[in-house]
Amino acid sequence: MTMTNGRTLLAMLQHGDSFFPSGAVSFSWGIEALGADGKIVKAADVERFVAHQLRGRWASSDRPVLCAAHAAGGDLECVFAADQLMEANSLAYEQREGSKRMGAALLNIHGRLGTSGAKDYQARVRAGEAPGHVAVIQGLLWRALGLDMDSACHMAAHGLSVGLLGAALRLGLIGHVDSQAILGRLHKSMDEILRTAPPPLGELHAYAPAADIAMMRHETQDSRLFSN
Amino acid sequence: MTNPAQAGAVSSARVGIGGPVGSGKTALIERLLPLLAARGVSLAVVTNDLVTKEDAERLQRGGLIAPERVMGVEAGACPHTVIREDPTLNIEAADLLESKFAPLDLIVIESGGDNLASTFSLDLVDYWLFVIDVAGGDDIPRKKGPGIVQADLLIINKIDLAPHVGVDVASMRADAEAVRGGKPVILTNCQSGEGLDDVVSRLSHDVLMAE
Repeated sequence: MTMTNGRTLLAMLQHGDSFFPSGAVSFSWGIEALGADGKIVKAADVERFVAHQLRGRWASSDRPVLCAAHAAGGDLECVFAADQLMEANSLAYEQREGSKRMGAALLNIHGRLGTSGAKDYQARVRAGEAPGHVAVIQGLLWRALGLDMDSACHMAAHGLSVGLLGAALRLGLIGHVDSQAILGRLHKSMDEILRTAPPPLGELHAYAPAADIAMMRHETQDSRLFSN
Repeated sequence: MTNPAQAGAVSSARVGIGGPVGSGKTALIERLLPLLAARGVSLAVVTNDLVTKEDAERLQRGGLIAPERVMGVEAGACPHTVIREDPTLNIEAADLLESKFAPLDLIVIESGGDNLASTFSLDLVDYWLFVIDVAGGDDIPRKKGPGIVQADLLIINKIDLAPHVGVDVASMRADAEAVRGGKPVILTNCQSGEGLDDVVSRLSHDVLMAE
């Protein structure tokens, strides 16, 4: 299934926009704990954190599984294989659970919207047969919507950045001007990542120890606004 | 979009409880749990706390409900968003409770605390309550916020405090009824239990179709 360029663009805007209900608003991916610990205190810290999440985690971990799930073309066994790899490569509990909760949220809304494959894969996740990581679900569902792989990757990179910056903004670490300035500057980094081929699934890796440790510490914090 | 009752395997009614911080939402749920249990209602609770998991833990610790029937969903500093624009995690939590404890009669979804403009998505709930209290000021109903006007049931709580904060409860109730177009208003005191049977009867009639 292909769309016209105009419709593709509109679909990207719909499904890549924070207005789309994806559950993203509940996750900070370590920023809440790093902010509480004084490790992230100013806009430059936020920018460095988001840039590293893009390059150190998303580009080499989420993106390859998104691409694999997209390339599966609706073959749920191939989607499942990528999903299992993501599960095995997610170290911190809150990273792993956050990714799965966002994946479940995305399956839920797309199941209700009638997106092809959503109900079938949701049944596997709910039966405990598949983890349902968000990058995998994005690849599965955005392919089903007719979005090409490159567009899907752009949407995911944008969505991650907006989610992180939104969390930083709501935590009072940056303002609305800084958040847009940072997002604009990150486009260069995103473009560089997206111009290169993703690593093969066999080379899946992530290196973001500050975020991992922050999420591990976040698990036991009494006072928390975010899920991770 | 389908509403919750049309979304597939859902059998329970889903009821939202919103209202300003401190108006007594958690206290109301604590008092309603035994009354509903006495009527044989099988239920679960989803709480959205802005800062801590305290509300969920308070209900769990209170022994009023099995701990595994209470789930907390962090709202990411956006309590309105998770009950309205993006209720996906709350829906997922309710669906999970539904699958674990089916058949459930009722799932209560407690908002983390709102201002008067908050409303629940009808994709998340079938029916919703808005809880205000007399200490918030007797002008609250006259402000005609969407929470006051649109909620299926408005509860004016802490009526025992009215003499201490200079509020005429009868006048506050009349103001609320005047802006709600005939939809119900119930006065409650969660300390003494006043009004709580009326809330349960209303839920039984409007939501559980039992009366």
